Amino acid sequence: MKQPHGRARRAVRCAAGAAALALVLPGCAAQDDVVTLDFFQFKPEAVANFSAIIDEFEAANPGIRVVQNHVPDADTAIRTLLVKDKTPDVLTLNGNGRYGDLAKACVFADLSDLPVVEQVRPAVSDIIRDLGSCGDEVNAVPFSSNASGILYNRDLFEQYGVEVPTTWDELLDAARTFEAAGVTPFYTTIKDAWTVGPAFVNLGGALQPEGFFDRLRAQGPDVQSGEVSFSKDYPEAMEKLTALYAFGQDDAAGRDYNAGNAAFATGESAMYLQGSYAIPAIRAVDPDVNIGSFPYPATNSPEDTVVVSGVDVGVSIGRDTDHPAEARRFVEFLMSPEVVERYAQEQSAFSPLATGAETTDPALAGLAPYFDDNRIIGFIDHQLPASLPLPQYLQELVLGGRTEDFLATLDREWSKIAARTIPNEKD
Amino acid sequence: MSTPVSSPARPGPPPTALRGERRVPRVFYLMVLPALALFAVFHTVPLLTGMFFSLTNYAGYGEWSFVGLRNYANLFGDDRIYGAYGFTFLFAIVSTVAVNIIALAVAIALNGRIRFKTGFRGIFFIPNILSILIVGYVFNYLFSNSVPAIAEALGVTSLTTSILASPDTAWIGVVILSVWQAAAFNIIIYLAGLQTIPGELYEAASLDGASPWKQFTSITFPMIGAFFTINMVLSLKNFLQVFDQIISLTAGGPGTSTESISLLIYRGGFQGGEYGYQTANAVLYLFVIIAISFIQLRILQRREASF
Repeated sequence: MKQPHGRARRAVRCAAGAAALALVLPGCAAQDDVVTLDFFQFKPEAVANFSAIIDEFEAANPGIRVVQNHVPDADTAIRTLLVKDKTPDVLTLNGNGRYGDLAKACVFADLSDLPVVEQVRPAVSDIIRDLGSCGDEVNAVPFSSNASGILYNRDLFEQYGVEVPTTWDELLDAARTFEAAGVTPFYTTIKDAWTVGPAFVNLGGALQPEGFFDRLRAQGPDVQSGEVSFSKDYPEAMEKLTALYAFGQDDAAGRDYNAGNAAFATGESAMYLQGSYAIPAIRAVDPDVNIGSFPYPATNSPEDTVVVSGVDVGVSIGRDTDHPAEARRFVEFLMSPEVVERYAQEQSAFSPLATGAETTDPALAGLAPYFDDNRIIGFIDHQLPASLPLPQYLQELVLGGRTEDFLATLDREWSKIAARTIPNEKD
Repeated sequence: MSTPVSSPARPGPPPTALRGERRVPRVFYLMVLPALALFAVFHTVPLLTGMFFSLTNYAGYGEWSFVGLRNYANLFGDDRIYGAYGFTFLFAIVSTVAVNIIALAVAIALNGRIRFKTGFRGIFFIPNILSILIVGYVFNYLFSNSVPAIAEALGVTSLTTSILASPDTAWIGVVILSVWQAAAFNIIIYLAGLQTIPGELYEAASLDGASPWKQFTSITFPMIGAFFTINMVLSLKNFLQVFDQIISLTAGGPGTSTESISLLIYRGGFQGGEYGYQTANAVLYLFVIIAISFIQLRILQRREASF
């Protein structure tokens, strides 16, 4: 959509806008040089943070106005905007597989010449590049990173004399200690299918063979007889996942994510299988809860332990924006160290910048060292096609399904999708 | 179900009556035109566009190319689609039977000589005007929290975990919500039908000593045959398209146990980036529903009483 240029049309637009929204009024005061940027912001819990950032940006750049749009289901909303050719000027998206699909479809601008690209931690750049991009371009800059691990209640660990586990056996021992004492070891929330995902990406990501997904993709639809498959390479990870879920509370099947955050905040369980992104929600229930964190000890050798980290918020620019210069100025402002650091602190996230200051949040202290040492891997579920309903299959598994059936289903779905995905002919 | 507009009993102007006997005046066509145009623009054109995209590998954005009938061929090898068909038909048939039995019973009660008849009719219509999504979230809360709490207090152990939490029972929750919501509309249709039955029939029957059950099977039910047909056809069609109820109650879960065809189309097409493939699924399903409605109409209309 082109902006109308005529004065008359602008006046009509202003009149209509003013009638609809009193907020629009200041923008109508004959400021012909004001550029309005449409900013698509996907994270509902960060609306206030971004509003504050926008206020600062607008104060420093009087010629640019930024309108923040946020919707409940951003992944679906951005697709409908793209179908209508209404790509926002600037947008934030979660760095997941769907972002990768969009980037590969070349709907975002190339940002490789932005100076800030060089300042991002190399491991974080790798994570977002692995999701996919348009050729060799850089289609998103990471604004904030999350980390997935196990959250624990420091007070309960102290009360029962449990040390933070560093090996798989120690983790099981800790869980048994709590169980014997009548404390739920893990509060699980199976009603929300996606909440099983974090355990899957941690155990699977740590235990799968090197280059599993690249090799799986190279095999095409022929998964059954190929040299890598879920049935061959994932049994250990899935056995461990079901072992952890066996320590869940009795009514796990009927509990959702919100219930889990509330229960963990009030000390109903010693541990919680969620990542850094859950911390603000837990603190919203009880600001004084004493949270700690540690990475999944997937094996009995602590030196192999890694932290799963994703780009929680990536910033992109629409490829065909009418205001590329202003959009870039806004992205540069967003990516300035002060803004990134403050956001990371407010949202209990990690700064993706190599120059970032130490993470001071005590809840993240157990994960931060791995982050600083680049011992991080991406979310493996982002490597699965979006049409494969992994959360639903995981939910079936932890509700009492058989591991072999789950892995056979993954193999079958992967193979079907590979067979029916017909690539476009190359130009 | 269109009735041809060729009624000769039309009170036209006498001088032109001879000429206009067979031809429909142009003004009738003009009156139909706006609706036809709107229907074509907002319904037929999108439908045809969708059918076109079912022949492509379109992901919903970006580049696409023409793939012929390969999407349709792949549909038949997809067990996830068979699973969705299985669930949808089980759900639709159970709900259609349940909603018609309940609605007919309530309608007969509301048609009897009871106090506050109008008030009750209003109350029973309320579910129809409520948004399914809102009611769905309320039921979701009831099933997940209230029912287990009540069951625990009463010592009914089989109900202490939410029925939505088990893949084997979640569909029952969807049926309960759907029947509760859909019964309101069917009650209204049945009430309208019951009021078309002349009172003399019942007077004659009671003089002959017919029991209330005999009166129902021999007078009431045959006389509202047309209303029964329309209720059966419409409710089956609506239940086959079930979507909102599932989104608000189970989101297709646990696992994929309550994944209806509409939900699968939405998930795969809009969220999964398989727009072309799921559009093919939708086109196929459109023809399935048309065929079922047609067969149902033929069978049910044959057994309607003619009077």
